[in-house]
Amino acid sequence: MSSRGSGGRSNGTLPQTKICQFKLVLLGDMAVGKSSLVLRFVKGQFDEFQETTIGAAFLAQSVCLDDTTVKFEIWDTAGQERYHSLAPMYYRGAQAAIVVFDITKPETFERAKAWVKELQRQASPNIVIALAGNKADLAEKRLVEYEEAQTYAEDTGLLFMETSAKTAMNVNELFLAIAKKMPKTDTQNPTHAARHRGVNLQDPDAHSTRACCGGN
Amino acid sequence: MSEPLQHMAVHSPLNGTTAIPWRSSRKRLSLLEQLKGCQEAWCPGAPWDREGAHAAITGTPAGSFLVVRDAVTSQPSLLCVSAGANNEEVLDYNIKCTGTVFQLSESHLSFSNLAQLVFFYSLTRDVLTVCLSIPRWIYSVTEANKDRLSQLEPKTWLLTPAEQQTDQMTHSEPSNMMCSIQLTSTSGALCIINPLYLHEHGDDWLTHKVTTSQGATQLSNYRRERRLSTTRSWAGAGLQSKRAISLDQEASAASTENSGLIRARSADSPDCAATSQTPAGVILRRPSQDAVAALTNRVSTDSLSTSTPSTSGSTTPELQRHSSPVPQSPHRVSWIEDGVWLPPPRPSSWLQPPSLELDSLSISSVEEEQESIMSSPAQHHPSAHRLADKVIHRLSAVGQALGGLVSHRKRLTNRVQELSERKGGAFAEAVKGFVEIALKKGVDPGRVTGSEILQEVRSSLTSLREMLLDSLEIQTLLDSPGDISDSDIDSLVELSIHKVALKPVSAHLYSCINTSLTNDGTFERLQNNLYVLEKNGVEELGGSAGVGVPDSVTLERIQQRWASIHKAYSPNKKVQILLKVCKSIYHSMTANSNSGTVFGADDFLPCLTWVLLRSNLVTLQVDTDYMMELLDPTQLQGEGGYYLTTLYASLYYISSFRPRLAARQLSVEAQQSLNQWHRRRTLHCNQSRRSKHRRTIRRQTCQEPKPEQKEGNNPGNADESQQQTENGTEALQTLKEEKENDQGAKDQSQSGTPTSDCPPMTEGEVVTGKQEDRQGSCVAGEVDYRGEERKDVR
Repeated sequence: MSSRGSGGRSNGTLPQTKICQFKLVLLGDMAVGKSSLVLRFVKGQFDEFQETTIGAAFLAQSVCLDDTTVKFEIWDTAGQERYHSLAPMYYRGAQAAIVVFDITKPETFERAKAWVKELQRQASPNIVIALAGNKADLAEKRLVEYEEAQTYAEDTGLLFMETSAKTAMNVNELFLAIAKKMPKTDTQNPTHAARHRGVNLQDPDAHSTRACCGGN
Repeated sequence: MSEPLQHMAVHSPLNGTTAIPWRSSRKRLSLLEQLKGCQEAWCPGAPWDREGAHAAITGTPAGSFLVVRDAVTSQPSLLCVSAGANNEEVLDYNIKCTGTVFQLSESHLSFSNLAQLVFFYSLTRDVLTVCLSIPRWIYSVTEANKDRLSQLEPKTWLLTPAEQQTDQMTHSEPSNMMCSIQLTSTSGALCIINPLYLHEHGDDWLTHKVTTSQGATQLSNYRRERRLSTTRSWAGAGLQSKRAISLDQEASAASTENSGLIRARSADSPDCAATSQTPAGVILRRPSQDAVAALTNRVSTDSLSTSTPSTSGSTTPELQRHSSPVPQSPHRVSWIEDGVWLPPPRPSSWLQPPSLELDSLSISSVEEEQESIMSSPAQHHPSAHRLADKVIHRLSAVGQALGGLVSHRKRLTNRVQELSERKGGAFAEAVKGFVEIALKKGVDPGRVTGSEILQEVRSSLTSLREMLLDSLEIQTLLDSPGDISDSDIDSLVELSIHKVALKPVSAHLYSCINTSLTNDGTFERLQNNLYVLEKNGVEELGGSAGVGVPDSVTLERIQQRWASIHKAYSPNKKVQILLKVCKSIYHSMTANSNSGTVFGADDFLPCLTWVLLRSNLVTLQVDTDYMMELLDPTQLQGEGGYYLTTLYASLYYISSFRPRLAARQLSVEAQQSLNQWHRRRTLHCNQSRRSKHRRTIRRQTCQEPKPEQKEGNNPGNADESQQQTENGTEALQTLKEEKENDQGAKDQSQSGTPTSDCPPMTEGEVVTGKQEDRQGSCVAGEVDYRGEERKDVR
């Protein structure tokens, strides 16, 4: 139980806990590994519990905290510059964002900074932003220093982790950290209260009586 | 956290996911609870003995049962089960009752109470000859009316036929039932044959017709004739077979005011009279018979001395209940209709997965059939069609009989339809008013835009939905059994509203959008940019090397889907079809790539754009606007919301491509309208849900968004150029426009040279390198950018 919880993974059962749902948008240059990162998070080792979606541009996955299941609806964006002006359509209304860059490509880090700036200026005021330095497995080709990104993240108030979609390093941790930072009170976010009133936890027919991370 | 604590958390009002008093008072009881509630009915006390029970059971459908208590100890001692109406036989099973454990003496399974035992044997035969069958109406008993259970008596218990579930189906088209088996065995799709039956009667009946040269055709003709004749003799029930299934539930659902008895009665017989009305006054269209009188009589003659149900009424109740005119073989009834081959009634929640499967099976087969007709009409022999229809019909009938949700859907839709047509009814008037007003609306250049019209329509639809959800008729309907979540209910009601309100006005709305998009130049821009972009391959649109695009066959199929999107009047339906298109695009993307390659938005958006450039952009833009404005706000999230956004984004990319001199202004306008749209739509996406609870939530929602609204009022809010202006770096604006121009030029030039010498990743680097410079110094950025971009073009 605890190991599952620490991984921040959902086991897919209907938990007897509060469910919060958030829209998370993925931003970052083309080919920095946005999709791979999310796919690693969504599929991970619990393939069978992933939500079925038609493709990798939109994925959904849950993270279990102590008393809350945080469900992320993950909106991927096209990283090409030419599609930049479409991004606001995607990040509008998002409660969380992961801005991804490639540690072997400094220009992607600069682009990430630009995204952060844009998000802080025009996305929802309380958006939780995480910065992910992806491809950390390619340490020998590193061109963006950990400290540099770390300092930037601290200065701008971001979550920061170096990740590797390839080795799964920090992938679950990143999403878990975001989940922990999300506001959990339903009243604060009527969207989710409304959307989830349908989950009748008192239903006599509910199969599961156990929370997925009850052990924590 | 320990589990008890978590449980408490669940019930805490803070959590917001539960605490729906309205719902809890209507909580459906589990079957076990229901059985316990009416234990007196199926396990009656003193005067009942074995003989009395046998007399009562004889002639009832297989599985009907009573438990008789020992005269001395008054412990339950004997389980009497009917072997079927035709056998006139009642089987006895001794019940052992040792302390707190109950078991059948032939079985090793023991149960802690009698209801559990009955429940178990209603699901599994074990040592019994037939499963126990439990009257279907029992499922409709809720917390609110459960006291009535205890008032039931054994006669009632038995007289409300337990086989109803299968009866409804088989009785409505008795001859069909048999044929459907032949038919399915012909096509090799499905074959259900009871070996006992074959043993008894051989298989001549089965093979006779299908082995003849034109077996299928003859068969279907024969069948049709048979059905026509039986239909006539059977009070027109043939056509209402599906309806009968839902009607019985309708009746039970609607008549909470009535006693359980009456309800059971009316649910009982498929030929219940037209005079039966719900308290709400909705006329249930049933085949008319004088059975109600008979039923009422039967209810009143609830005495022990009545040994058979056939004591009253002008028609023989036997015939009514089993109404299988001209049975082809006496045993046909017993193995098909008496529920031997079908599992006995179960709590509908258990049955949902299979029923959904069946339902989706039937729906998809209908759809596939339609599509195949479209593509190759000659393929289908007419008779094969008829056969297929019957299979589909059969499957969906089974699905309906088994599952709560499917029939719920139908019932709800039918009821909404009825309400919308009822003369003088509040809802009907509201719908009428809405349609009239909506049809009068028109685009007025400079004053009323298409999206404003659509917004008004959306808010009217929401009001109509609220009205329905608050109406007594619908609430009682929703109250009936069936595992159906609030969100399902919402979307069901939403879909029903689409049918009655949106359908009549959809063509008019299209024309409003058309006018609006013509007036604001969107169509023109789309058309012009289509010429510029249409020759671009997917890599020139930004897709990575190796990503596949739909082949001509898939593309053709996608065009068909776009056409059906346009045909659909319901925005929800449109989105569903859109998802299918997206799925086939994904499929094409990965078709040629190594397995394991995953394509995200970086590739999906270019691919979708590629497809759009080969589609009817004008119609798609109309449909997209229609969906964007009219979709139920809750549907704007999730997968549907994502791909709708992507479709919108892609169209926007095409229409705003190569903006040239007007770039900035157009972009500001477009972004502004997008902002407005988004504000409108996200702010209200939490409204909905039922009743007062729903309103409370919406009130909260409405108060929420003030900050965002303020933000949204800032015209340049989401506009890239605006933010740059905010930065005080006006020069960057020029840069951006030039960049866009460059990009346009680049795309054009690339169309001449399909294989770009720089792979997409390099292009990305170049562009972001530029971006970096933009952040730093605008002058340097400009120089750098143009230099690199030219390099890129070369």
